[in-house]
This record gives sequence, structure tokens and C-alpha cells, in this order.
Amino acid sequence: MRRISRKYTAVAAVLATLMLAQPAYADGDIKCDAGPTKDWKSISKLKKKAWMEGWELLKTQVEGDCYEVYARTESGQAIEAFFHPVTLKKLVVYRRGTEIYRAPGFTG
Amino acid sequence: MKSSVTKGFLWLLLSIPGILMLWSFTQGEALAMDMLHPSGEMSVRLMILAMLPGPLSEFFGLNRFLRGWIAIRRNLGVAAFGYALLHMIFYIFDMNSFAAMVEEFGFPGIWTGWLSLVLMLLPAVISFNYAMRTLGRTWKKVQRLVYAAFILGLVHWILLDWAWQPALVHLAPLILAWILRFIGRRRRYRVQRSMT
Repeated sequence: MRRISRKYTAVAAVLATLMLAQPAYADGDIKCDAGPTKDWKSISKLKKKAWMEGWELLKTQVEGDCYEVYARTESGQAIEAFFHPVTLKKLVVYRRGTEIYRAPGFTG
Repeated sequence: MKSSVTKGFLWLLLSIPGILMLWSFTQGEALAMDMLHPSGEMSVRLMILAMLPGPLSEFFGLNRFLRGWIAIRRNLGVAAFGYALLHMIFYIFDMNSFAAMVEEFGFPGIWTGWLSLVLMLLPAVISFNYAMRTLGRTWKKVQRLVYAAFILGLVHWILLDWAWQPALVHLAPLILAWILRFIGRRRRYRVQRSMT
């Protein structure tokens, strides 16, 4: 019995350490360097942009200083895309937590 | 009679968040995707509530409070599975296509969720008195699958959100309880040894 309890504690400790060591590249942490919101393009322009990608739009929101779009592609893939609020450039696209697109040169 | 009233009240309490989620979804106030987070989180929280009293009682001893908590533990576990099922149903509504679900199954953020659900299934379906009596010690062993289901559930969460803080906040009380259990077991072991 003691052996089991030690194992649990060890696993828990390892997991906690791993999680603490996790690099902070949370998708919620994307930095767009967008500047003051008065210069931002309107959400309707963002929607048009997403529509032009051929996506079915589910939801748009402001995430940090980025525009975030939840959508479905033509082939039915659920995606999460980040756009620059001023230039409306597509910066990063995630699919179920996995990055599937990053604009060349974008490091935010 | 009294116990069935208590049990009914407990289940009413446990089902309120789910009813609210279904309500706002069916009323069109929320998308299925908006309900994924609350339903998944609820499942994780109920799992934690089911997993806490065991280790705590090994440290604090079986007082009235912990005895009561342990008495409802199975209900909490079944409810956790219920919310995991609800989570899956919202996912199916969100995807709205079997082919698309199959297609994204291979993503780490997705298969970890499915596996966690499957691991919860077995302990949940044998959570009735007859199975408990029949299976004896095996029953308890099967229930331990919830540890793996819980860890996978957290991994599923982290892989989708890339935010480890909320998952860690949920893991913290269990880590604390596991440490206390470890201390409790050592203490008992020492007492036993000193008596012989």
C-alpha cells in the first residue's frame, strides 16, 4: 500500500513540475502588437475576411490584443484563427490546440 | 425513506448545472462550443470531489463529515461521468458531422478526451450495489481507473487551451490530499511498528 501511495505522489509531483515548466505559448497569449483600439478595423470587416477564406463563421471575439475567429473550414474542420486587428492579416490558425498555420515571420 | 429523499435532493443539486447548460443551449443563447468548457470543467470538478474524501480520511480519520462525504462519493463519480457524456454530446452537436469527428480524432487534444471518457465508462457502469457486492476487491481496482481518466482529462484540457494554470488549480487539492494520505499512511505504519 505504501508503495502505491508513493507512486501517486511522485506522478503528481512530476506532472506539476512538467506543467510549471510548460512554455507560455498559450493560444490565448498570442501578441498582435495591435496598438490603440481606435485604429482597429471593425468586426464586420473581420467577418468578411473570414468569409473570404471560405469558412463558416461560428464566433468572433477580441482575445488579448488580437481578433479571434472560431470557424469551420469547407471540409468541416473546426479551427481557431487569430487576425491582426489593424491589418486584418491572418496570423495564426489552431486546430484543436495544434498550430496548423503561422504567417511567415510572425513570432507573437 | 429518509435516505432516498437525501439522494433525490443530491441528484437534483448535481443536475442543476447540466439543466442550465442544456437550457441555454436549447434556447439558442449559447452555441454548443460555448458549452464544451463548462461541461468538461464540471466533470473534472466532480471527479475531484469523488477522489478527495478517500485520501483525506486516511489523514484525518473517519469523522462524521468525511463519512458523509464518502457515503455520497459514488454518486459524485457517476455525476462526473454524466457531465463527461454531456460534454461529448455538446461536442457532437458542435462538430455536426461524424466524418469530421473521425478526421480530427488523431489530434492529441481530441483522443485524450475520448480515452478519458472510455476510462470513466467502466467504473461508472458498475457503480451500483449489486456489482459492488459481486466484484468485491476487483470493484475497487476498477474504480482506480478514474485516476488515469482524470489525468488524461487534464491533459486534454491543457492541449486544447494551452493554459496550464486552470488545470493546475484543479490538480492542486488532489496533490495536497495525496500528500496527506502519504503522511497518514506513514504515521500509521510507524504506530503499528511501535506496537509490535
